Parts: sequence; structure tokens; C-alpha cells
Amino acid sequence: MTEEKDKGVSRRDFVKGAATGVCAGTFATMGLYSYSPLAKKRLAKTQRAMKDFGVLKSVKITNISETSWFSNANLMGDIHKAGGLLVNQYDLNWPPFGNGKGSAQGSYESGIATIKDLIPHDLEKAWEIQEKLSLHPENAGGYSCLIEVEELNGKKHKYLLDTGWSYKWTDAAFKREGIDKMLENHEIEALFISHEHWDHFWGFPVTMKYDPTIPVYIQDGFYEEGLQYIKDSGHTGPLHSYTDAVNQVIPGMAALKFDVPIINRVFGELSLAFNVKDKGLVLVSGCCHQGILKFADLAYRELKYDHDRFYGIYGGLHISPFEDWDPKYDDLVISLGKWGFEKIGCNHCTGHLTAKKFIEAGYPVIRGTARFRSSSPDYLGNGDTITFGV
Amino acid sequence: MERNEVSYLESRKLVKRWKGPWPALANSLFIAVVFYITWWIFQDPRGIMRMYTPYIGYMVCRWLLILFIWVAYIFDFWPFKRAWLDRTHPLVKSTVIVAFSVAAMYLLIKVFFVDILGNYGIAYFNPERLTSMGLTEFYAIEYAAEAIMMFAAIASWLSPSWVVACENAPWQKLPQPARGFTIVTVTFFISMIVYFLTMHSHMAILFYPWQKFTAICPPYWEEFANTVSGNFHIAWIMCCTVVVWLYETIWERYPFNLIKTNWLRRVSSFFGIIAIAVCLAFFLYYCEELAWGPAIRGTRRLMAPDWRWLHVGEMAIFWLCPTLFLTFYCNNWPTKFSRPVNVIIRTFLTAVIAVVVYIIYYKTSHLFLGTQKGFSHPQQFPMIPMIWLINIFLINSWFMDGWPGWKAVPKTAAEIKELESEVVASDVKWTPRFAVGLIAGLAGGVGVYFMIINFIPWFSTVYTIIH
Ligand SMILES: [Fe+2]
Ligand SMILES: [Fe+2]
Repeated sequence: MTEEKDKGVSRRDFVKGAATGVCAGTFATMGLYSYSPLAKKRLAKTQRAMKDFGVLKSVKITNISETSWFSNANLMGDIHKAGGLLVNQYDLNWPPFGNGKGSAQGSYESGIATIKDLIPHDLEKAWEIQEKLSLHPENAGGYSCLIEVEELNGKKHKYLLDTGWSYKWTDAAFKREGIDKMLENHEIEALFISHEHWDHFWGFPVTMKYDPTIPVYIQDGFYEEGLQYIKDSGHTGPLHSYTDAVNQVIPGMAALKFDVPIINRVFGELSLAFNVKDKGLVLVSGCCHQGILKFADLAYRELKYDHDRFYGIYGGLHISPFEDWDPKYDDLVISLGKWGFEKIGCNHCTGHLTAKKFIEAGYPVIRGTARFRSSSPDYLGNGDTITFGV
Repeated sequence: MERNEVSYLESRKLVKRWKGPWPALANSLFIAVVFYITWWIFQDPRGIMRMYTPYIGYMVCRWLLILFIWVAYIFDFWPFKRAWLDRTHPLVKSTVIVAFSVAAMYLLIKVFFVDILGNYGIAYFNPERLTSMGLTEFYAIEYAAEAIMMFAAIASWLSPSWVVACENAPWQKLPQPARGFTIVTVTFFISMIVYFLTMHSHMAILFYPWQKFTAICPPYWEEFANTVSGNFHIAWIMCCTVVVWLYETIWERYPFNLIKTNWLRRVSSFFGIIAIAVCLAFFLYYCEELAWGPAIRGTRRLMAPDWRWLHVGEMAIFWLCPTLFLTFYCNNWPTKFSRPVNVIIRTFLTAVIAVVVYIIYYKTSHLFLGTQKGFSHPQQFPMIPMIWLINIFLINSWFMDGWPGWKAVPKTAAEIKELESEVVASDVKWTPRFAVGLIAGLAGGVGVYFMIINFIPWFSTVYTIIH
């Protein structure tokens, strides 16, 4: 009897010890192994797909506008008042979707109703109406650039990346750079919309005004309102919505899609990559919400490019667009050098402070001319151009 | 010991009002309703006050948490009288105590941090000062809120630690409110030191140029953590906050309560909690690497080391919710086995539920919380809704005596006597068989670990949480 009891006790002791040991052993291994070099070794090495997407001679970019807004204080003030960075951009009551009801009381439907019959043929009138109904209409600018590509065989292509925000500002910028004529003559083959944000997309009717048949490329992160806006702006050409991460456009040019959640309820960004002969890879972005290194990393994993070398960057790098700061931006400033870019043309939402820190770090930042309301020569400003190759 | 010699929370016994699962269900429903209404009123970016900016809302929920802990654990409900606590209706009682906590929080944040520290000590605590020096107002407020919030994050590890691990020593005999003020002051002081060692540099590099004369920049952890961001510290500090409560609730202070010598038990549990938290932090970081690949420094969000560290803290918080739920509403199930077995079952169970809650959260939260889809949106802070929910758990359990499903009855003298013996556990003893079990268990634990880290890469390829 006692023997049996002893057995029971000893078995129970064993179980107690084992239970304690399992917990202690698991936690101890967690601590000792997880952050050790041994653990790092287990992580899968990057498998490079080395997709050959062709090669081209050169890429020339004309900055139509990089000034998306003119006062950070007004922009952030509006966002803050409406409830912060998560509020749906269409509800902010910004032009062209103002409804006169004030902060956070807007909506796509009520905004578009005020101008629907005017777009895209009478944008002046539409904007005038919106100037009365929306918050800070004078603050709106826009982001847009013209991309001219030359193939190895000499064939040339023109594309638009993004289409600004303010009808007034974007139209004027288009006229300044002759984009209106190019669109009317159907010289521009396609419009790529990097993402649904107000400053890249809401000037959509301006492109439609000159060429409603232009093929438009977006990605599948667009929300219902955005898709409706494309229709409501009178677009009659083909609309392609990318679903794959890597999409070849022509030899040497690819559109890369990033599934990234973005402030004020926007999802996904489309960026462009070019393989320039004898130079290497050139990355062109709208806002680059995915981050320039994430962009570079995807290209590194997926694409094959000349000399296996990163060559150039153009566009907004979305680092400190509101001149805010975070230590992670310093992580970028500190580590960008390792990637070896030889020509950095940044502007828009890169942030002046970031550009300044890049220059201080000795990176090859191409300076601008600070014309047409671009505020700093540290940037490639409005009307400035940059060429990669030849 | 008399009833008034133990704390209020120890002096009461919560008994179910109805048999079966009804109390837990009723309270879950009640908590869900309160959560959603208050979330809409205070936090939701589409709601009324919209404090989820995110840092204002984050600061508020962290400070509320710490005030609730101070009221219930540190001050033992002083200045409220025991008789009043005993006889007042839970709804009235909780309203009064929460209002009191909110007022105290307002005083602390506005008067102490913003007005006193921010005007006479460190500029970044006062948003107005930052704006007057040219910062955008929105970010000025966010920076100040972040700094003030970090204080609460550190304190919400240290304050309960002092009660749970250090057993209020050496002030356990002091009457209230002397004991409360002493422990609050001491833990606040230590929090301040920890803050300077962990977050001050983070704040200093927010400004251009780096404030090198006043803080260590780049910070000392740069190489180790692969980032200059203070999020590295948020990782292990959040894990400390979580482990304190694991230790207090589902672990019933096991295994450190086996130590009979008072000072040794207190010291080893205090540092033991930190050690376990650090292990957990490294493990969770590794989980991210296994699922998403190695972090790339300088990237943003999901691939960035700074976000990965932050997410370690976020993942840890997901563990706290089921833990508290199990203790408060499921009577710390199971209780029928020996303590180590109960502990391991609860640990496993809550960890699994935490993973499920995590998956459900990221699959659905954007549909009803006003947050954004995606893991790493800069304004996607699962810590805010989770802590908001935990705050409501605490209000319900501590200030409402578990109303509506439970009610408080005074403990009998015998039940209070039991408390004394509980400080040192007597149910587990060192025997040869225990030692054999322990060694086998340790080996098993290593096995469990490697099973998990083999499972994660496989799981992340076959199952996508967010499409
Ligand atoms: Fe932008
Ligand atoms: Fe953007």
C-alpha cells in the first residue's frame, strides 16, 4: 500500500519537475538562442530570382511638380483636426471633394456631386466651386513627372507618373512643361498612378482634360472611391490594375507593386524600375511609402540588371514629408550609403531635413534650381530634369 | 491577520452570481459593449474625441493603466474607505474611482510633465515649446505624448513589480497612504532613471542636429539592436510589463515563491521577471525574422529593425489579454492539478489564445476599430486597443468586483489565514524524482523551442494572415 503511495508521490514529483523544466527550458532557450549568430544562420538566404526584364539606353525625368502642398502646418492641421492620420482622405473635406460641411464631414459622394458635371471639360469652374467648399484649397499643389525612355534601338517612349492634386496648379504645371500638348497629340503612352493619395491622384481630371483615352495603370490597392473617381473623370481608355509584384512594361522598364498600408486610408504603391545599359538599376517613385530600401530590396531579389549595381533614384522618398523626424530615418541616413547609389534625385515627400542629412553624409544628391515654388536647392525642384544613362 | 490587515483585493472573495458559464459570458458581453462605446467616444479616428492620433490615445491609455495599478495595488484604494468599498454599488464605485484616476492622470500629465518638466526642465515634454521653435504642431504634440507615454510604460512594469516581486518591501508595514506615496515615489524615481537610460537618446535624435550635448547620440544600443530607435527598449520593457502579470496571475508567483528567504525571493523574482522578459523579447524578434526574413536597416515598417522591436512589445501585449481573462473570468482554470502542471497548462493555453487573438486582430481590426489594414502601418498600434481592453478588465475586476457576473463577499478569517502561507509555496518540494523530472523537462523545453522555430517558417508560407 505505502509502496503504491510512494510510487504515486514520486510520479507526481516527476511530473511537477518536468512541467517546471519544460517552462524553464523553453524560456532559457528563447533567451540564449534566438538572438545569437547561430540563430541568424538558420534564416533563409535571399534567393534572387534574377528576372531578365531587358535593358534600355536612357531615362530622362522632367519634374512637372513636386510641391504637393505649400504649408505643412495647414496640411497637418487639417489632418489633425479631422482625427489624425487614419482618417479616410476623402472625408477630410479637401478639394476637389469639399462639401462645405467642414473638417472630417466630407465624403467622396457629397464632394464629387458638386463638380461631377464639370469634369474634365471645365476644370476652372470646378476648382472655383471647390475653393468655396473645401478646406485650404490654396494649399493644394501636386506631384507629377514626365518620364522619357529611350530603348537600345533608339525607339522613344513617354509616360506620366502621377497627375497632381489641385486642378489649377496641375494644369498650370502641365502647360509650363508642355504636357498639355503632348497629351493632346497622344505622345504620352500611359499614365501610371503610384498610389491613391490626394497629391498624386486627385488631379486626375487634368490629364483627362487633354487625353481621356490614355491607358491608365494603377494597382489593386485602390479603394472604391478612387475607382469611381477614374470613371467620374471621364476616362475612356483602358485601365490596368496590377496584381503582381513585378510587371514588365517595355524592355528595361518594370512596374513594381508594394502592398503597403498608407496614412489616411490608402493602400499600396506602384513604383518604376529601369535597367539602364552600362549603368545599372534606376528606381523611380511617387511617394515611396514602402521605403526606398524596401524598393531596392525587392528589385535586388527579383530583377537582373546591368553590373548588378544600383545606379539612380528619382522621386519622393517619403521620409520626413512633414519635416517630422523619427530615429528610424536616421537608420536610413546611416545605411543608405551601403547600397551604393550614384545619382540621387530626391524631392517631394523626402523632406528637406532628410536631403540635408544625405548631403551631410556625403551622398551624391543632385541639386536643383529652386524655381516655381520649390523651396530648396537641396532638391530636384519643379521644372528640373535628371537623366540616367547616355 | 484581520481583514483590514490585508489589501482590499485580498480581503474580498468574488463569487459567481449564477451557475455555469453565464457570469463569464455576461461579463464578456458587458466588457465588449463598454469597450466599443468608450473606444468610439475616446479613441476611434472616426469617433468623437479621436485621441488615436496615435500617441495621445496611447499616452492616455498607458497612464490610465498605471493609475489603476497605483489605486488598487500601490495605494490599496486610499483615499477611499474600506467600508465605502464594501457597501457601494459596483457601478457607482467604479465611476467614482475611474473619475478620480482620470483627474489624477490629468494632473500628472498636464501639470507635472507638460507644465513643470516641460517648462523648467526638458523642453520636449511641452508641445507648445516645440511649436514655438518651428515644429509642426501635430508632431510637437506626438513627440511630447510619446515621451510622457514612455514614462508610463516603464512605470507599468516597475510599479506592479514592486508589489508582486518585491512584496512592497521594505515598506510593507507602513500604513496607507504613506506606503503608497513611498512606493510610487520610489518606482517613479527608478522609472525616471530607466527612462533616461532607454528613451532620452531616442528623443534627442528627433531634433536636428542630434542633441549630442544633452544625450548620448548615437545611442549605445545602436550596434546591438541594429537601430538607433528606442523601440529596442520598448520591446523588452513591454515584455517585462506582461511577464509581471503572467507571474502574478497564471503562474501564481511560481517558481520564485519556492524560495523561503524573503530577500532572496524578492530579489530573484524582480530580476527573474526581467530575465524572462528579455528571453521572450529575443524570441519574439526571432519569430518575426523567421516569418518575414531578416530585418533590413533603414527600411520602413515591416522590414525595419525599429518596427520589429516595437512589434515585439505589441505581440507580448496580445498575451496579456487572455492571461487576465483566464484569471479574472475563468477562475484561473485549471486549478485541479499540481501548481507546476496548472502553470504549464495555463501558459500554453494563453499563448495559443494569444496567437489566435493576434490573427483575428490583424484580420479584422480595420473593420471595426478605425485602424488600418496591415501589420506595420505607422498608426497601427494594437497596444492601444489591447491596453484599452485591459483597462476595462481591470476596472471590471478591481473596481466593480466583477459585476454583473460576480459579487464581492468578505473573506472569512480562515481564508485570510491561507494568504499567509501562500507567500511561500509548500506544495512543490525538492526530491530526487523532482530533479529527474526537471532535467527531462529542461531537455523537453529545448525541444519545444526548436519545434516552434521550425513551425513558424512553415506556417508563414502556408498561411497568410493579411491578404
Ligand atoms: Fe506624396
Ligand atoms: Fe503619398
